[in-house]
Amino acid sequence: MQSSGTDRSRRLLTAAAGALLAALMALVLIIGFRLATRIRDNVATLRRASLLQAYPSELSQQLTALRERLGTLEYTGGVQQELSDSVAGVNRDLTALEHRRGLDPTLLGTAEQLWRAYGPVLAPVLAYAGEPYSDTDFGSSLSVSGKMYYTQVRRAELFAQSHAPALHRQLTALTAALQKRTSNAAARLRLLLSAGVLAVLLLGGAAAYLQLARSRGERAAQAAEEQTRDILHTVREGLFLLDADYRIGSVWSQALNHLFGREDFAGLPFEELLRDKVSPATLATAMKYIKLLWGERAHENLIKSINPLGQLEVTLDNGRGGKETRYLQFNFHRVLGAKGVKHVLCTVADITSNVMLTRELHEAQESAHAQLDMMVGMLQSDPLQVGGFLDAAAAGLKHINAILKEPARSHAEFSKKLAGLARELHAIKGEASALNLMSIAQRVHHLEDMVESLKGKSELDGNDFLPLVLKLDELLAHLRAVREMIGRLGALQAPASAPADTLSSPVLRPVGAEELAATLQNLARKLAEDHGKPFTLSLEGLTEVPAQYLGALKDCLIQMLRNAAVHGIEPDTVRRAGSKSATGQVRAQFQRQADGFELVFEDDGAGLSPEALKQAAVRKQLLTAEQAAELDDRAALALIFKPGFSTRTEVSLDAGRGTGMDLVAKAIYGLGGRIGVSTHPGRFTRFKIALPVPRETAVA
Amino acid sequence: MLREEELKTFVDGTTRYFEVAAQQPATIGSPYLLEGEPAMHDYTGMINISGKREGVVYFTAPRAMLTVLLMKMQESDFSHESMRDLVGEVANTISGNARRDFGHDFVISVPSVFAGEKPQIPQPPGTRAFVIPIHWRSHSAKLVVSLT
Repeated sequence: MQSSGTDRSRRLLTAAAGALLAALMALVLIIGFRLATRIRDNVATLRRASLLQAYPSELSQQLTALRERLGTLEYTGGVQQELSDSVAGVNRDLTALEHRRGLDPTLLGTAEQLWRAYGPVLAPVLAYAGEPYSDTDFGSSLSVSGKMYYTQVRRAELFAQSHAPALHRQLTALTAALQKRTSNAAARLRLLLSAGVLAVLLLGGAAAYLQLARSRGERAAQAAEEQTRDILHTVREGLFLLDADYRIGSVWSQALNHLFGREDFAGLPFEELLRDKVSPATLATAMKYIKLLWGERAHENLIKSINPLGQLEVTLDNGRGGKETRYLQFNFHRVLGAKGVKHVLCTVADITSNVMLTRELHEAQESAHAQLDMMVGMLQSDPLQVGGFLDAAAAGLKHINAILKEPARSHAEFSKKLAGLARELHAIKGEASALNLMSIAQRVHHLEDMVESLKGKSELDGNDFLPLVLKLDELLAHLRAVREMIGRLGALQAPASAPADTLSSPVLRPVGAEELAATLQNLARKLAEDHGKPFTLSLEGLTEVPAQYLGALKDCLIQMLRNAAVHGIEPDTVRRAGSKSATGQVRAQFQRQADGFELVFEDDGAGLSPEALKQAAVRKQLLTAEQAAELDDRAALALIFKPGFSTRTEVSLDAGRGTGMDLVAKAIYGLGGRIGVSTHPGRFTRFKIALPVPRETAVA
Repeated sequence: MLREEELKTFVDGTTRYFEVAAQQPATIGSPYLLEGEPAMHDYTGMINISGKREGVVYFTAPRAMLTVLLMKMQESDFSHESMRDLVGEVANTISGNARRDFGHDFVISVPSVFAGEKPQIPQPPGTRAFVIPIHWRSHSAKLVVSLT
C-alpha cells in the first residue's frame, strides 16, 4: 500500500512537470513570436529610415542637377520627375514611420518639422508645368517663366544644401534609435530563448529524474510482484481473497490448485468451492459464518472462536481417478479499509497428517488411560470375576457375530438383527459397568449408539452394518488386550500358585454366588457414587440360586439394580423432604418355594407412576395417545417390559436405551419363569420373579 | 486396524464389477467376522497386499453364480478356464479400486486364482477376517478382507 502511494505521487509530479514544461514552452514561443514580429517590423522601419537618410542629399543633388540643366538649357523633365519621386518618397516614408509604435516621437517630430520646412521652397519647383525655354532665331534661352523657375530651383537648392545636414542628422538619429530598439528586442529574444532553453533543460532534467525515480519504483514494484508470485507459488497453504459477494479474487496461491484439484478459482463463489465436498448442512453453516465475517460489529477473535471450518472433512479427487478424505483447515482474516471490511483473506491448510497424528495420539492416550483404568479396576476386582466376565463377554460377542452372520437381504431381515444386537450389547455393558471395566463399557455403549441410530433408518442394507462389524472387531481386540493384561496381573499377584497363562486363556466356568454378590455390591457402590444417591444393597439367599440360573440372574439383577439406582432411589434431599431416611434401601431376596424359586427385588424409592409410564410410551412412539389413555394401571406398569421403552429422554451408560427390563423379561421367560411388578408411588417398586426348578436339579 | 473407507473400497470394487460387467448391481449382505476356516466357494480370486498394510483380500463365488454372470456378459464359453478368468477379473477390479484409492501405500500382487482345491490363505497374525456376502440375483458370493 505504501509503495503504491509513493508511486501515485511520483506519477502526479511527472505529469505536473510535463504540463509546466509544455506551458513554459508555449509562453516562450508566444513571447518569442511577438518579439520576432516586432523585430521584423523594426527591421522594415529601419530599412525605411535608412532610405530616408539618403533623401536630403539626394534632393540637394537633384535640385543642383535641375539648376544646371536649366542653365545649360537641357531637358529638365526627367530630373523634375526624380525630384518629385524623392519628395513623394520622403512623404510616404515619414507617414509610414508615423504609424510605427514605439518610435521616439520627439525625433520623428523634429524630422517631420525639418521636412515640412522644405515644403514652401520645393512646392513651386514641383508645381512648375510651363515651358522653361523659348526658342528664337538666335537660339534658345530661358523663357520668362523659365527664369522664374530657375530662381525658384536655385533657392530650393540653396535651402536644401543648408538644411540637408540637419535633416540628415535627424533621420540618422531616428535610424540609430530604431537600430537600438531592434537590438534591444533581439537581445530580449535571445534572453528569452536562452531562458526557455534553460527552463526546458531544467524541466527536462526534472522529468528525467522523475522518470528515473518512476522506473526505479516500477522496478521495485516488479520485484515486489515477483516476490509475491514466488510466495504464492511456494506457500503450502491455499491463499485467496473473498469479496463482498463471497467470490474468490483474481489471485491465489498455487497450493489451492493442488488442494482442490482445479484452477478456475477467479470469481468462483465460495459456496461452489465447497459444494459436493461437504454435506449440505456443513455448507450452510460455513456460508452463515462467511456472512458473519462481513459484519462491521463482529469481533474478529470471537468470530475465530466459532469458525466451523477449523477442521473440515472433505472428499477430494486423489488424482488417480478416485476419491480420498482429507482434512482442511480454513482460517479467515478480515482486511479492513477506510470504509470497513474490504476483503476476507482466507487461508486453507491441509491438516490431514496432523489430524491423523492427533487421532493416533488420542487413541494411544485413550488406550493408555483405558489400560490404566482397567488395571485399577482389576486390582479392585477379583481376577476370577473379571475372567468370568471376559468369558461371558466373548460368548456374547460370538452370539452377536452369529446374529450378523444370519443371511439378510431385505430391510426387515436387517432390522430384525438390531433388536438381538441391542440386547446382547446391553447385557455385556451392564456387567462391564458392574466390574468397573469402563473402557469396555464405553466401547459397548458406542456400539449400542450405532445400533440405535440404525433403528431409525427407513431402509437398511449391508453397507449400514459395515461400521458395526468394524467396531465389533475393535471391541474383540480390546477384550483380548484386557485378557492379556489380566494374565500379566495374575502372574504378578500369584506367581507361585498359578501359571502365567491361566487367565490369559481362561475356560468358561460357572459364576459363583459369592462372585455374584461381590459384583452386585461393587456395582451398587459405583452407582451410588456416580448418581449421587446414597443407598445400601442387601442380598439374601443368593447361595440358594441354582448354578443353572446364576448367569441369567446375574444379568437380571445387574439391570434391576441399575434401574433402581437411576429411576427408583431419589436424591437424599428429596428423600428427606419426603420424610424418608437419606440413605435408600435396595433389597434382593432369593428363596426356595414349594414349586420352584422366587426372587424379590425391591427398592424404597420413588415408585412407578402409571401416568408417567404412559406419557413415556407415547413419547417413544410405542403407543398412540389414544391407546395410552385406554390402558389401566396394571397394563401401564407392564410397559416397562416392552423393547425400547424408557422414561429417560437422554441416554447414559446406565439407562435410557429402553433395553434393560426387556432383557430381564426375556431372560426370565427364557428360563421358563414369570415376572411381575408392583409399586406404590413415593414408597417402593417391587419385582417378583418366579422360576421353576431347573431340570437337572429336579432330576437330582 | 482396518478403516471403514478401506473396507468400502474393496466392497465397491466388487459390486462395481457386477454393475459394469453384467449391468446389474450386486448388493451386500450382513457383514460378519470370520470364525474358523474360511468358507470357500468353487472359484476364488485372491490378491495379496503388502506395504503399509499386510494381508489378503479374496472373492469367492459358486459356479452357478459365475455361469449366470457369464451368460449376462453374452459369453458362450462356460468352461473351467472361463470361470477362473472371471474370478481373476473380479479380483483385478478390486485391486484396481484399491490402487486408485490407496495409491502407493498398498503394494498389491497380481491376482491368484483357485478352483476346487482348498487354498492356503495367509492370515496376518492378530487380525480377524471380515466376510461380506455379495448378493447378485438369487446367488451369493463372499468377499473376505483380512488386513493388519
